[in-house]
Parts: sequence; C-alpha cells; structure tokens
Amino acid sequence: MVLSVFALFCLGYAFVKKVPVYEGFVDGAREGVRTAAGILPSLMVMLAAIRVWEESGLNEALCAFLLPVTEKIGLPAEVVPLMLMRPLSGSGALAMVENIMEKCGPDSRESLLAGVMMGSSETIFYTTAVYLSAAKVKHARHTIFCALMACLAGYIGAILCCP
Amino acid sequence: MLQIVFFVLLGMGLFYGLMTGRGDRVFSALMEGAKDGIGLVMDMMGVMAIFCGLMKLLSLSGVTEKLNRIMRKPLRFLMGKVPEEALSYVTMNLSANMLGLGNAATPMGIEAARRLADGDRASNALCMFLVINASSVQLMPSTVVALRMAHGAANPEAVIWPGMIATGISTLFGILCCKWMEKKAWF
Repeated sequence: MVLSVFALFCLGYAFVKKVPVYEGFVDGAREGVRTAAGILPSLMVMLAAIRVWEESGLNEALCAFLLPVTEKIGLPAEVVPLMLMRPLSGSGALAMVENIMEKCGPDSRESLLAGVMMGSSETIFYTTAVYLSAAKVKHARHTIFCALMACLAGYIGAILCCP
Repeated sequence: MLQIVFFVLLGMGLFYGLMTGRGDRVFSALMEGAKDGIGLVMDMMGVMAIFCGLMKLLSLSGVTEKLNRIMRKPLRFLMGKVPEEALSYVTMNLSANMLGLGNAATPMGIEAARRLADGDRASNALCMFLVINASSVQLMPSTVVALRMAHGAANPEAVIWPGMIATGISTLFGILCCKWMEKKAWF
C-alpha cells in the first residue's frame, strides 16, 4: 500500500512539474540496473563465503557462544556478525542479510532487524577512505571514531524500534 | 580489513568443515552460494531499477533542490565557516544519498571533500561532513526492500519507518559526538 502511494506520488509530482516522465524513469532505472550489476561479483563471492561459514557449523558455534549476552539486550545472536560486517563491506553485509532471511524467514524479527540495520548505516571504512584519499587528507582525526559511534547508536535505535 | 574478514569466513569455514568431516558439504555450499548470489541479483535488479527510476523522477521534479534548501542552514551551523561552493556540494551529496542515488552522490562528495580539506589534516568541517555522510541519511532503503521482495516477505516496506528512526538516531548521535570531539586536542 505505502509503496503504491509512494510510486503514484512520484509519478504525479513529476507530471505536475512537467518532467519528461518516461525518459527520467528510464534514466533512473538504468542506474539501478547498473548498481545491481555492479555489486554482482562481490555479492556473489561474499554470499558463497558466508554459506561456507554457515555450513561448516562455525556460525552456529559463534551464535551459541554469543547468545547468553545478546539475549539480555533483546538482540538475536544471528544479527551480530552482520553488525560487525556492515561498516566494512556493503555487499558482504547484504549477503549476510540474505543469509539471515534464508535461515529465519523474511518476516521474522531477525530479518526485520537485519534490514533496518543494513539500511540505517553505511560502509564507513570504504566511503571515508574514498573521500579522504580524493581530498589527499592523511589524518582523519575523529572521523572514524564518531562514524562508528553513530553506527552503534543506529544499531541501538534499530533494536529499540523493532520489538 | 575486508581481506581478513573474507579470509576468516571462507578459510576458517573450509578448515572447520574439513575437520568435522563436512568437506564435501562446505564445498557444495560454496558453489550454491555463488549460484544463489546470481539469482538474488537478478531478482533484485528489477526492483532496484523501479526504485531508482522513481527516485530519479523525484530528483528531476526539484525535490533535490528542496532538500538542498532545507539542509543548507543546519549544515552551515554545524560546519561553521566554509566556502559557499563546498556547502552546495555537501548538500547535493547528502540529498542524492537521501534519495538512494549513490552513483550520483559519490562525485559530489569527492568535490565537497576536496574543498573542505585543510592540508593533510581533516578540518572540523570535513570530519562533520564525513560523519553525516557515513551515518547514512536514507529515505528509502531500496536494496533492503528489494531483498525482502525477492524473499516474498508479507510486508517488504516494514523496514522503512524503523529504518528512518534508526538513521535519525545514528545521524544525530554522530553529529553530537563530532561536535564534542572536535574540541579535543588528542585527535
């Protein structure tokens, strides 16, 4: 429902503003296809690695190890590896969300939480490195620390608003 | 860093699998994972194309300029004295990010970073920009919605509202943390 209303709004608003609706849409769609195709190799490789990690039984062992701690704060242990991966790699994190959905079902709390965490933070190390090297800056000062703190706050926010 | 993560996941997975007599199963998991990855991207591609198309329409209809205008004052307050041009690149980068148009955002962000840099040390304004950028102010998490759709979730859009709240908390906290840290001498 929300998504249809949103789509109609975009279309109607563009029409009112006399935007070339078809050309604009195709332009955007091209970008979407390019993004999806761009992440294919890294997503594929990461998903393969995560499946091996999962199948070997290591993930289960790790979750069992973490469970006593995470249980107390209302955090499913399955989501912890994702929280560690998110600042490092976008496709790695996406592959982990995929793995959680596969394992727990797309409508489970684990999947919702994973999705919210995925959407509410960024690939901190990668984006910061790109911008800093473009600006030829060597000392990032407090950037990484603050970005990680923000990411952590986002995780806590995600746990609080996914009961 | 990513190298280590990848090595741990794959290397330790294979090793532990072999040790526990699951050598064949872990290798077939490797193959299955790659195959599923391709299928997944194919499933997501259509959804992402539609979302990016809609976002592009919004951006063409002047939503980008509106967002830029709304963000200008708070950003000027947060970043202090910065060149006008740098500030417009910052707003353009953030609004493209908000709409999920990542490909458009990166060049703008690079221009902004270049203009905010102060020698080889990051200026307070640059740190602030990077922290806001890294705390991801996204209005529509299209990849996640696409992934949920690919899995046939009952409510693929259920992530949108909690996502906005979580993003808001993270950005706010990032800004506060940055404001507090920039006065400290040890960085």
